[in-house]
Amino acid sequence: MGKTVLIVDDSNTMRKIVSRSLRQAGLDFDDILEAGDGQQALEVLGANQVDLVLSDINMPNMNGIEFLRAKAENDAIKEIPVVMISTETGADIIGEATALGAKGAIKKPFTPDSVNDIIAPLL
Amino acid sequence: MALAQDIIATTQEIFSTMIMLDVTPGEPCSRPEGPFKNSVSGMVGMAGQVKGLLAIHLNEDVAKTVTGNFLGMEVEEVDEDVRDAIGELANMLAGNIKMALTEKGNDIKLSIPSAISGEEYTIDSMTDAEITVVPFSLESGEFMVEFQVEGA
Repeated sequence: MGKTVLIVDDSNTMRKIVSRSLRQAGLDFDDILEAGDGQQALEVLGANQVDLVLSDINMPNMNGIEFLRAKAENDAIKEIPVVMISTETGADIIGEATALGAKGAIKKPFTPDSVNDIIAPLL
Repeated sequence: MALAQDIIATTQEIFSTMIMLDVTPGEPCSRPEGPFKNSVSGMVGMAGQVKGLLAIHLNEDVAKTVTGNFLGMEVEEVDEDVRDAIGELANMLAGNIKMALTEKGNDIKLSIPSAISGEEYTIDSMTDAEITVVPFSLESGEFMVEFQVEGA
């Protein structure tokens, strides 16, 4: 596929599970990068060519909504698509994420099929 | 009782979808007295219109089984991976139970999940909280999901 994905989650376990689900869904990215919060994600995006970001919402230091807001203000990275992966999928918070540029949301718990349904159209 | 049903439905969905284990709920029961022994507990706090604590308590063997299935790997000891996995499990439980409560008009914020483990420890209950505990069984043993809530 020749593409790079960035997985943003404060849980090392969840980063591994998302990575495994991408493989199980047949989405074989060349590189899978990881970040533990929004601030780290901004640093990774500043130093790497990334095609897609999968981000949790509820994280310490800089949460997913704050990350979207900071990314939208940075011309160099604002066009990189972001999909939220979270237990927080209420209409209010997803509406806020969408208004800040998020391209979709995957609810935890998720299956490889549900991951594929949201992500494949973005690649 | 509706809260217990929310806990049962959410727990079964998470375990069947992401941990690939069938879990069987028991009758909702009272909070166990005395300390937890050789166990792992994951917890997430709730604030806002509902103030509460969602916790899952597993003995070490069950925690290792659950983490192994969660990550798709062999788990031999209770380490940071196990605590992280059980904390994330609590996070998913709390998030989905929050969604069930939010549909009823409650505005709730979740804390960052935490987890503890040890030979013997206690977790204090909130003052004046309504406590719902649902036991579950699976092949490798049993675990409990506990929801303490004020203002539901």
